[in-house]
Amino acid sequence: MIKKVSQKVYMALIFILLYAPIVTLIVLSFNASRTRAKWGGFTIDWYKSLFQNSQIMNALYTTLIIALLSALIATILGTLAAIGMQGMKKKSRTVFMGLTNIPMLNAEIVMGISLMLLFIAFHITLGFSTILIAHITFNIPYVILSVTPKLKQTKRSTYEAALDLGASPLKAFFSVVFPDIMPGVLSGFMLAFTMSLDDFVITHFTKGPGIDTLSTKIYTEVRKGIKPEMYALSTLLFVTVLILLILINVSPADSKKARKVITKRTKAVSIICKRVVPALMAIVLIAGGFYYAGQGGLGTDDKVIVYNWGEYLDPEVITIFEEETGIDVVYEEFETNEIMYPKVQSGAIAYDVVCPSDYMIQRMRENGLLAELNYDNIPNIKNIGKTYLEKSEEFDPGNLYSVPYCWGTVGILYNKTMVDEPIDSWSVLWDEKYKDNILMQDSVRDAFGVTLKYLGYSLNSTDLDELTAARDMLIRQKPLVQAYVIDQVRDKMIGNEAAIGVIYSGEAIYTQQENADLEYVIPKEGSNIWIDSWVIPKNAQHKENAEKFINFLCRPDIALMNFEYITYSTPNTAARDLIEDDSIRNSPIAFPDDEELKDCETYRFLGDEFDSVYNEMWNKVKAS
Amino acid sequence: MKDKLIDLVNITKSFDGQTVLDELNLYIRENEFLTLLGPSGCGKTTTLRILGGFETPDSGQVIFNGEDITKLPPNKRQLNTVFQKYALFSHMSIAENIAFGLKIKGKSKTYIQDKIKYALKLVNLEGFEDRSPDSLSGGQQQRIAIARAIVNEPKVLLLDEPLGALDLKLRQDMQYELIRLKNELGITFIYVTHDQEEALTMSDTIVVMNQGYIQQIGTPEKIYNEPENAFVADFIGDSNIIPSLMVEDKLVKILGVPFKCVDTGFGKNKPVDVVIRPEDIDLVSPADGTMTGIVTHLIFKGVHYEMEVTANNFEWLVHSTDMVPVGTEVGIKVDPFDIQIMNKPVSEDEEAVGVEE
Repeated sequence: MIKKVSQKVYMALIFILLYAPIVTLIVLSFNASRTRAKWGGFTIDWYKSLFQNSQIMNALYTTLIIALLSALIATILGTLAAIGMQGMKKKSRTVFMGLTNIPMLNAEIVMGISLMLLFIAFHITLGFSTILIAHITFNIPYVILSVTPKLKQTKRSTYEAALDLGASPLKAFFSVVFPDIMPGVLSGFMLAFTMSLDDFVITHFTKGPGIDTLSTKIYTEVRKGIKPEMYALSTLLFVTVLILLILINVSPADSKKARKVITKRTKAVSIICKRVVPALMAIVLIAGGFYYAGQGGLGTDDKVIVYNWGEYLDPEVITIFEEETGIDVVYEEFETNEIMYPKVQSGAIAYDVVCPSDYMIQRMRENGLLAELNYDNIPNIKNIGKTYLEKSEEFDPGNLYSVPYCWGTVGILYNKTMVDEPIDSWSVLWDEKYKDNILMQDSVRDAFGVTLKYLGYSLNSTDLDELTAARDMLIRQKPLVQAYVIDQVRDKMIGNEAAIGVIYSGEAIYTQQENADLEYVIPKEGSNIWIDSWVIPKNAQHKENAEKFINFLCRPDIALMNFEYITYSTPNTAARDLIEDDSIRNSPIAFPDDEELKDCETYRFLGDEFDSVYNEMWNKVKAS
Repeated sequence: MKDKLIDLVNITKSFDGQTVLDELNLYIRENEFLTLLGPSGCGKTTTLRILGGFETPDSGQVIFNGEDITKLPPNKRQLNTVFQKYALFSHMSIAENIAFGLKIKGKSKTYIQDKIKYALKLVNLEGFEDRSPDSLSGGQQQRIAIARAIVNEPKVLLLDEPLGALDLKLRQDMQYELIRLKNELGITFIYVTHDQEEALTMSDTIVVMNQGYIQQIGTPEKIYNEPENAFVADFIGDSNIIPSLMVEDKLVKILGVPFKCVDTGFGKNKPVDVVIRPEDIDLVSPADGTMTGIVTHLIFKGVHYEMEVTANNFEWLVHSTDMVPVGTEVGIKVDPFDIQIMNKPVSEDEEAVGVEE
């Protein structure tokens, strides 16, 4: 009895462990509140807006087309390969089988990088075709894996019997061998389709500008927080994969039962398999072909290739730009500066205009990756506030290379109901009173930056004594910290889970809308001010278009659209004047006084040597 | 005698450096039931596969009706094969299986329907059209395989151990069935088996093979009664194979004792092998026998008793319907025409299996 109960409990535990995350995701996809910290009631709005979002639908279509095409081609190639290997002598068969298995066991990232290098080496432009080739490549082994066992079961004598009865080798294969291995081919196709559907790593490395699959699209949103639409989309993906898996696993058993007598029903099924499914596939493919041909943009030469953060530009802005100038915008997104840098550096894609952060602009400038801007083409620079251009000189002396786009500060977010005194100093982060109520940023520069500022040093300090002092402070602080997190500061503060958190100003505005008790302050010791600016890489092919694009973004009405979309502070003072809502136009979070920014510094790239010094010290803190 | 239909000329075939057939020569007449008989690995299946076109010989020619078909692919040959494991197409119904070859030849629908009916009737499986092969027993599947082959009206039907997977009773039934079919259809059957009884029952001609060489070709009676070497004698039925000395024509010394025989032309005082079938030995009283011995073993086999008689240091295998108790002293007598004289084996393949010199 006890044994039985414990068996059931154990099973339940396992299933909870396996499926709790997915259930959470599905539940959140129906949550009316934007934040995952609060339940705002049931809604299917996210599903609706999902289907209205042309970018996502575009990515979905790309994903499906690539999955279908790559699965189809891989199935054909893989089946042929399996047949070929079946005909080999045992020794060479084992060798080949092993060789085809390796790509499956190999780390995806190795596969992704090596494919990217290969494409670059052969001067193949990264884009739709390279993703397709990559997917075919990693799908073939899965097809071989699922076809081979079926081939082994197939008796050679049935093939010979067909030849004997007058069938040509081709006819014999299709009428006798193929039906026998069909279940394997089908499940190979499904497997390949599924693998392609949810691949991220390899796609990430082999995709080009202007094209995204669902997984890469979702990932680009990491910086600004994943939108609930993505929960809805992920739910749909999960359900799709689930259905596919059920199809793969259920169909062979069914057909075996139905085999006893070959009935009309099985005939109907075979007609569906033989005629309807291929017809549907053909329709999708042809429609896709027209769709892509209709897009046309990729073909013309008058274009500008934009490489920007995820969710960092109002899509409407691109449409207006294209309509006004006739220049096609090829748009690609990145997730972090560190991911963007090697892509630009490798020259695999000649981006025309990129939006890195301050310290990265310095690094790119020092490494000669940037082209000087011709301000004759960017008259709208006049709309950018003086303060920001001055701050930009810290990483771009003379403003030769960059035009500020968004900016913000790092400060303290606190819950008015949970603190006793007015907060205006970093010192609260070391206050024993708030033990286990403090959230720190899990990032080396932010953690040290805050501490160095508190100690009165520069947050770009390269003085070992200063750094050691900061390190010791952080070690002392550690017992007080509830958690070192990045994204979750926002949700935890909204959910009243902590009293004090280090946060970016852009997020602070949003948290205030969700929880009125929250307050943001830039401590009096000064802090970090960050600036993301537009730059033009040296190898840009359409420099004039890029300058037109930057100029366009500096137009007050356009800058306003972007501000409203992104909600991060804009350096465009003309745009700020256009904001209708007083509380936002005069928000101390979005637009702090110049006085408050006086002691704020941008991060600078400290060189590889000090990078490792910082990291080593941060590791000491984390390990203490 | 009818004309040669198939002529295999100097066929040599090796796999991975191992010779399976060595300079094989064989012809098959029209309307003949020819059996290739031998132990596994003797080359009989390879010979059949060369006939069917599934293997190409390394050298030599396959002549069919006067035409060289050595390089012709299987689908272009006027032969059909019945495979050892039936090789039915499991995703097709019985009717579709039978219609397969006819459809490829582009026959009309009504013709195909008639043929299916006719073939199923021929193999006693009327009404099985819509069944699936998986739902049939082994014997039924084999008959469908035969039906599928014969609807194409081949000149020759190749059968590769078709009864090998069936149980004894079914096998015997199918043997009669095959003989009946062959007589009704009037086509040439080339049959491969390792079962000597099957070969003796059905064949017009038996080709005994070992290690890639033909050992003897002949009618079942000739093969059984007059084996040409120790291998054939040993492989077909039970026999006493005794090293002996041919003294002169019609006189042979077996175990030192002279016996009269009918064979001539072996020369004088020449070592030979003598074959005496166990049922050809008469056990008589010691005084009447050419040789005397003692019964050492006795087993009841149903139709007859099987005995071992030790005489002159040789264990004689004797079959007899009369029982002689163990320990009895008996005389051994053999009629001259029951003594078969053979030359000593000149190569390994001619030796009896498991018999040392």
